[in-house]
Amino acid sequence: MARAQKPKQSRRPQAKSLKQNNLRGFAKRQSLKSQRSSKYSESSDVYEYQPENVRRSKVKLQLEKDELDGARRDISGSEDEDDGPKRNGLRPRLVGENDDEGGLGSDEDEEIDSDEAFDESDEERFAGFNFSTKKRSLQSRTVPLIDLNEDEVELEEAPSENASASEGEDSAADDEEEGDPEDFIDVLDMIDGKGPAESADEGEHTQKEERPSASKARVEGDDVPHLEDEDEDMHDEEDEGISSDESEEDESHISPMDDAISASGDEDDDVGTSLHDLQSFITNLDAGQKRKAPDDEAAPTTETGEARRQKRRMLKERTEAGEENEFAPHRGATKLNLDDLLNPLASSSSNLLSLKKSAKILTSISAKNQTLSAPLPQRTQERLDREAAYQQTKEEVDKWSATMKKIKEAEHLSFPLQAQPAGRTSNLELAAKFKPTTELESAVDRLLKSAKMREEDIAQTESLKMNHLSVEEVSARRAELAKMRELMFRAEAKAKRVAKIKSKTYRRIKKKEKAKIAAKLGEGSDDEDMNEETRMKHEVERARERATLKHKNTGKWAKAMRARGDLDEDQRRDISEMLSRGEKLRRRIQGIGSGDESEEGEDDTEDDEEGAADRIKASAFEELAQLDKGSEGEEDSGRKGKSIFEMKFMKDAIARDQQRAKQMADDFVREMGESNHEDDEDDELTGGRIEESSGATIERVGGRVTYRPGAQQSQLRTVNSLASDTSSITLRSNDLPSDVARSVTPSATSPIPEKLGIATEAPNPWLAPRQDPAKAVPKKHEIAVSKDSASVEKSKNKLRKKAQKHEEEQSKARNDAAVDISMSNVMTLGDNSSAGPSKPKTRSQSGNQRDDGDDDSDVHSEVEEQERLLDRKGKGKANGVKAFEQRDLVARAFAGDNVVRDFAEAKRREMQEDAPKEVDTTLPGWGSWGGTGTRKAQPKPHLIKKVAGVDPTTRADYKKAHVIISEKRDKKAAKYMVKDLPYPYTSKAQFERSMDIPIGTEWNTRVGFQRGTLPKIVTKPGTVINPLEKLL
Amino acid sequence: MVKISVLQHAPSTHLPARPGDPTPTSRNLDPLMHPFARARERTRALNAVKMERIFAKPFIAALEGHVDAVETMARKPGTLNVVASGSWDGGMIVHDISLRRHILRVDEAHKGKISGVCFADEDRLLTCGVDRNVKLWDTREVDENGAGPSDVRKPLNVFPGKSAFNSIDHHRTDPIFATASNIVQIWDETKSAPISNLSFPTSIETISAIKFNLSESSVLASIGSDRTFTLYDIRTGKAERRIVMQMRSNALSWSPTFPTTILLASEDHNLYTFDIRSLKTPSQIYKAHVAAVMSCDWSPTGHQFVSGGWDRTVRIWQEGRGTAPEVYHTKRMQRVTSTLFTSDAKYVLSGSDDGNIRIWKARAHEKLGILDSRERAAIEYRESLKQKWKTDAQVNKISRSDFLSLFASVYIVADRQLSSLSRTRHIPKPVHKAGQLKRTMLEAQRVKEERRRKHTRAGESKPTAEKRKVVIAEQS
Repeated sequence: MARAQKPKQSRRPQAKSLKQNNLRGFAKRQSLKSQRSSKYSESSDVYEYQPENVRRSKVKLQLEKDELDGARRDISGSEDEDDGPKRNGLRPRLVGENDDEGGLGSDEDEEIDSDEAFDESDEERFAGFNFSTKKRSLQSRTVPLIDLNEDEVELEEAPSENASASEGEDSAADDEEEGDPEDFIDVLDMIDGKGPAESADEGEHTQKEERPSASKARVEGDDVPHLEDEDEDMHDEEDEGISSDESEEDESHISPMDDAISASGDEDDDVGTSLHDLQSFITNLDAGQKRKAPDDEAAPTTETGEARRQKRRMLKERTEAGEENEFAPHRGATKLNLDDLLNPLASSSSNLLSLKKSAKILTSISAKNQTLSAPLPQRTQERLDREAAYQQTKEEVDKWSATMKKIKEAEHLSFPLQAQPAGRTSNLELAAKFKPTTELESAVDRLLKSAKMREEDIAQTESLKMNHLSVEEVSARRAELAKMRELMFRAEAKAKRVAKIKSKTYRRIKKKEKAKIAAKLGEGSDDEDMNEETRMKHEVERARERATLKHKNTGKWAKAMRARGDLDEDQRRDISEMLSRGEKLRRRIQGIGSGDESEEGEDDTEDDEEGAADRIKASAFEELAQLDKGSEGEEDSGRKGKSIFEMKFMKDAIARDQQRAKQMADDFVREMGESNHEDDEDDELTGGRIEESSGATIERVGGRVTYRPGAQQSQLRTVNSLASDTSSITLRSNDLPSDVARSVTPSATSPIPEKLGIATEAPNPWLAPRQDPAKAVPKKHEIAVSKDSASVEKSKNKLRKKAQKHEEEQSKARNDAAVDISMSNVMTLGDNSSAGPSKPKTRSQSGNQRDDGDDDSDVHSEVEEQERLLDRKGKGKANGVKAFEQRDLVARAFAGDNVVRDFAEAKRREMQEDAPKEVDTTLPGWGSWGGTGTRKAQPKPHLIKKVAGVDPTTRADYKKAHVIISEKRDKKAAKYMVKDLPYPYTSKAQFERSMDIPIGTEWNTRVGFQRGTLPKIVTKPGTVINPLEKLL
Repeated sequence: MVKISVLQHAPSTHLPARPGDPTPTSRNLDPLMHPFARARERTRALNAVKMERIFAKPFIAALEGHVDAVETMARKPGTLNVVASGSWDGGMIVHDISLRRHILRVDEAHKGKISGVCFADEDRLLTCGVDRNVKLWDTREVDENGAGPSDVRKPLNVFPGKSAFNSIDHHRTDPIFATASNIVQIWDETKSAPISNLSFPTSIETISAIKFNLSESSVLASIGSDRTFTLYDIRTGKAERRIVMQMRSNALSWSPTFPTTILLASEDHNLYTFDIRSLKTPSQIYKAHVAAVMSCDWSPTGHQFVSGGWDRTVRIWQEGRGTAPEVYHTKRMQRVTSTLFTSDAKYVLSGSDDGNIRIWKARAHEKLGILDSRERAAIEYRESLKQKWKTDAQVNKISRSDFLSLFASVYIVADRQLSSLSRTRHIPKPVHKAGQLKRTMLEAQRVKEERRRKHTRAGESKPTAEKRKVVIAEQS
């Protein structure tokens, strides 16, 4: 197939010009044929053999490699034998293929003429090429070349002839038609692919022709199939020119090219008349131009089949050879013109004129399209036409694409789409059309007319008024008016611009300027008054400063004072007072802060070092002592002050409190003393459990979350601790609400964690167990019902007041912190320690059994393993210390991420929230008596609301420590959920947004509603909707 | 002096300023003030969709008159009510569908079946039949000769052809028409012989239908018995392109708003839309019929179309949505051989084997008659609610269900009642069974194909897309 494609490649449809060329070429060929047929009856039709050329080209392609080899070895000249078998091996295949295309008669190939075998690229290639060389080459032919060709021709023709022998010409033609279509398309493709390659070769070819450097050029020629084709074209033509037996087969078409070749072939033998020569030359001109390698032709007749290689060699050698004559002038730098050729004949004959004419046609055809192509087979032609027509229709139809896109994308369509738009009438139009019809209108019109107030009347009166003024006057007036208008306009614009300025600084500056101006104006006014005024101003400023607690000397007033330099006593005192006050406040703030810091620091150090425990104890004792001292001091101050604390019951209460505190402190001291020893043992037994359990504490201070290990208060702070906490309220106020929320819940369901086996706090042995009944009682209240919140509040207030007292009395903030620490520690951990002791016991009993789901066990299991190993070995204390160090390291490494515990905590909270509970909805003061001596009324059952939650035991995640399964699915809300994101939406947010916006009138403006509910397609009933039309 | 204090309402605040204006509302439009908007709208959507199903009664009327199957129908361009129909017995009737009477009735218009009907212009009608004639008729109630509707009419002109005609279509503007027999012929109304023949070379098929493009009126399309679809252009006078499909098509229709789109009703139970600019694959496949689709017609809006099938159903499709069309059927309606949209896109006509032409509403629940603006606003609101809440499971379920079986008096249907409803439209049992069978077969095919792909070397290639299977070859 590839072979067949080759020539057709050149047949690429060059639009209409090609067709014209075809026609023209055909006409000319016919005319020439008729002329020549008598003289050169023996010359055969070129087209008949074109197919052979074509086929050969394929052979060449297949042999290419061999040939390449051959060409290389050619120089040595011994490869004929080697090539022989190969070629023979190929030939059968060739025949087979011919059989495949068996339908291809010899005449069908007429269409594939040599003209068409050339395309633009060829022409380009030969643009700078002269025919003289060709001429020359024609004259000098080599025997072997031709001979080989004949061989091949015979070989190839044999099958085709056999095949087509029985068939008529028509059937052959038919076959070809059917065979073509695919070829054609392929060829198109190939052309596309090949074009550039050929053009690239172009330079090489020209070079090659100029310099016959044998084998190399040949190889190049092989590379480009076209070249081969052309070569073979030439060969065939020569064959035909010489051997008449083949030409007998088909004489129906005699192409000018053939004539030309035959003529040139004859030239060697006998030189015909000059006219004939010229004609043949000219005819040769158009056809022969495409011959790339005219050298090849230079072979007359020989029959030796083996001479292929030789032929090649000769080709290269003989390129430039050739005798010079009028038809083949010496090749020069200038291009050969047709006129140059015709000039010598100018005087000879009258036929020349007609010749010239025909030549003119050839020359006039643009340089690009000098080749004429034969008409395509009808079927192919039709297909092409259909293709083109379809493209046309496509293009035509594609003009609708913009419209269609618009319709597709339109949000709303109102049919019919191409309805005539109702034109809008302008006011002028209406006014011009207006004629008073009703009584009222006519009355108004009459009035206007009488008052001469109608449009045209007004214009008229104006013109009348202007009548008796001179031109200068009018212009002057106009100028003045214009000026005024201009000024006004500018002033207005400026004022507007100024009014728009929002800058405060600008305003201030403006104000100052104004004040300055005012001051300048009123310079003579009284100084004393001013002074007084300024003094008043100063006073006010200072008051404001004090009110706003601007205690630094950066305030306005302070600055003013400083700037003044000389101050009287009062002012100096004021300033110093202010500064001292500021200092005091700062110190107080810092003092508290530092106390906290020290506390934290202690915690840290406690974590950091083993020996820290002692230090903590020491500090605790210290704090206790301070507390004692403080309370004493408080007593003292209490005596001095005259306040509510003077009253007896208050004193009693304070005393009771103090006693309790003391008792607590004593207990604590005693316990600490005892447990000092216990502790050491315990420590070794339970390992780092104490500290691990204490874990990390998350504390929110001033909007910042700090994670630090080892401080257990904040997380486990209960209501009581919160209440006691008040001394540090200034610093911790930020996390109060969350603390309340957090702290209420754990107290309510303290049993649950135990039940679930979730580990709570490990025991902190140096902290006192819960002993204090006074603290425990309110806790119980809170557990039952949260109605006690009021009492909680009260007690909290009380405590706060007390704490404030402390604060006032104690000048040092550190003491406050100490109190805070001690109290909270005692209360919170006392609570937890109740659960604590049982744990370690069980753990110690179970030995090395690992407790699952426990908070830190996962993290520290490895460490514990090590420790246990050490324990088993029964090593001394030193080892224990070492182990602790390592554990400590680990603890430090994982200080922050107490995930397991957090998870447990979260789960507990979740369960708490879902658990059934009772809410007291009693409003204090409602439905009960007030005043002194009233008993507290029983909670009314109808005011206690029971919230039926999910019982912890019925939960789906009950006894599944590692999961939290939410029980919060709301059936009513479920129907608003969708499984997947619906189709047109691309994101959840998008969908939610679209569902969020209601479209009803209740939630939209009228216009919004109308827009929101406008259907996509609106049709009016009873309106014919016509199809789209081209509107011109 | 008595001082009188009066509670005064400024009318401007609560009354419209002018008669046409809306009453000013004193409503807070802040969405935060309406926490239940969503719930309320959902309820409304549910009600809307229930109402839709309750009032879905598409059938309007049946036009009688034909003795045999109604093979073809054509609407008169520029009118709403005039429709011509041709029957297998050779009878031709021009109906006035608004008055449901015959404007013209010719019993023996052709010998044998009338295969095509189309309006030439104002009052003239072209019919073609298997008796190899094309006839031109005057459809006015009283023609020039004074022959009334019931009198025996003579055709204005007869165009004899060489073979039986299968279809006819008139150019939108020019006085030419095209007929389909074994070739496509273009005729001039004033000439008795065709002015040109169009055929794809080497085609020896019978052209079964032909249609002029409506917007690009020189473009012509035909379908043939060789399972082909062919495109012509009368300007170039050529058959330009042809595609061969898996199964033959029975009808075709050009989209009136998308001039490049053509709809084919195929024998393989599907409908296909093609863009004529790229014929390799259909732009959409419409699957729901359970037997061959016999006819199709676009709505004048180009956004929906109707198809009638051998399965005795009429289906109304939304353009671009390949499944779940609206299904119309009645007990006595037989194979639907022709379908038509009216030019206002509100009604659908179906001509069937039983010789009746039925009029349906294009939207089953649409209210007929005049609507005042408030009602229209309410309807539009309901429609947009349905559209908005179609993702809601319950709304979707109801919209797919069939309320026809319920009493119309059921206004409020509790949710549990809904669950007992059938989840899809009611269709005749044979159709349902056929659908089931088809599904089973397709599933079996799919499974087999899958196995083949899994276990044989031949199946190693990727499965072809359904769209790519439709067109076997594209020929130029």
